[in-house]
Amino acid sequence: MDPLKHLTTIVMAGGRGERLFPLTRDKAKPAIVFGGVYRIIDFTLSNCLNSGIRRIYVLSQYGSLSLDMHLKRTWDIMRPELGEFLYSVPPQQITVDRWYRGTADSIYQNLKILDEERPQQVLILSGDHVYKMNYLHMLEFHLRKEADLTVAAVPAPRREASAFGILHVDHDQRVIGFLEKPADPPGMPENPEMSLVSMGVYIFAAETLVRELIADAKRKDSKHDFGRDIIPQMVGRKKVFAFNFVNPQTGQPGYWRDIGQLDAYFQAHMDLLGEEAVFDLFDGDWPVRGQVSLAPPTKYVTKKQPVEITDSLIAAGCELQEARVERSVLSPGVRLGRGVEVREAILWHEVRVGVGAKIRRAVIEDGVHIPPRFTIGFDRKADASRFPVTDGGVVIVPNNVTLEAP
Amino acid sequence: MKTILVVDDDDAIRMLIEMELQEEGYRVLTASNAQDALKLVETEPLDLVILDIRMPGMDGLEALPRMLGIKEGLKVILNTAYSQYQDSFMSWAADAYLIKSADLTELKNKVKELLT
Repeated sequence: MDPLKHLTTIVMAGGRGERLFPLTRDKAKPAIVFGGVYRIIDFTLSNCLNSGIRRIYVLSQYGSLSLDMHLKRTWDIMRPELGEFLYSVPPQQITVDRWYRGTADSIYQNLKILDEERPQQVLILSGDHVYKMNYLHMLEFHLRKEADLTVAAVPAPRREASAFGILHVDHDQRVIGFLEKPADPPGMPENPEMSLVSMGVYIFAAETLVRELIADAKRKDSKHDFGRDIIPQMVGRKKVFAFNFVNPQTGQPGYWRDIGQLDAYFQAHMDLLGEEAVFDLFDGDWPVRGQVSLAPPTKYVTKKQPVEITDSLIAAGCELQEARVERSVLSPGVRLGRGVEVREAILWHEVRVGVGAKIRRAVIEDGVHIPPRFTIGFDRKADASRFPVTDGGVVIVPNNVTLEAP
Repeated sequence: MKTILVVDDDDAIRMLIEMELQEEGYRVLTASNAQDALKLVETEPLDLVILDIRMPGMDGLEALPRMLGIKEGLKVILNTAYSQYQDSFMSWAADAYLIKSADLTELKNKVKELLT
């Protein structure tokens, strides 16, 4: 029997992504450009495809136009005549007159989907995580354990773990404690420097989910959030298990990043680079579907000096003239003038960089024109007077500013 | 005094429930359709709703989540002649699901249980 037949898959993609401002000022967080040719949601959706899941609901809300446009352009690949679909679902406002109050409320407001589908299990995913995971393995674990809820989990350094839900499990992987975003996360018994964090990937027994959501909707003190309310309420009362996310090739903990804030966005890009990239996009067994583009091949133009590229990802349709690019990610259509230096930078679509400009540790939004000899990332004070600069010293250049030549 | 809203399109059943609950000492409001009931949920301080499912216009299962959206934690008893709606996830949001009967003992017991 195909276990996926009785599974409904829902991707939550409605969050405002305030900590990614200004990148999210006009688009949904899952629709943000990542890795040159992807949007963040592409990793979760590619996981679905690679796991054999081809019936997907995407719950959108904030900035949904950007997400819808991307889904139409890149993900219009399902075959309805085979029962496949990818539906983008904004808040229906049929049963209630409000936006989603939290992650759990977003599913509660769409109970009708579950009522019509009548699944046995529900897979709940987030549209803003970068990882490669076979959900079928997790589903098999969930069925084997006869769990009410299975939470995917991965070890993370303790000092970074306070941004996540922390799981405490027994020897049988049963969850016996859950702390949502604790200030001082407890370490794992076998490794006190690491904490076991929830990846925000859940498989619920469908009827349990419905009952828990209904009970939660009636709780006045609830924030209607899976991590804050639903899971802590279920631990100890229901069969909640943790599924260890490991890389099947190495047996080591898998790569998983929550792109929750700008420094994480930047760092996850650095993880794509180098000969032995921490996160490998060149895995033939696990293709990630990205933007389909009509861009021509990238052009490297040399008169006297060569174009020098090291440890970088350069998308199609770029034009690089005697420029030097190091540890950077360029989206399609980027143009670098003569003598330009780009180091540890993420350049979105159609960014133009004028002759002799120098860029270091920056994220530059699509369409920005950097004037000749302009510098970014060399003078923190000057940068901060013009642009947002993160705690980690990454300069964000939004495309709603006009830059003057020095 | 606790206030109960009785929603049913059948006049006879509505009146019967109204009278018997009044005898029990409750304040009882009535509505013959879901739209009127939703208005009362918005404006009246209610403790409990007794809700029919099959009604012309909006049915009880559609009205139920709307009522809960207006008044979080509102107690609702679904009171219907049909058992098949028990499978609907929407019906699970009610505090009780009763099959209609001319004998109101079960209904009255459930009301008492939910309001104490």
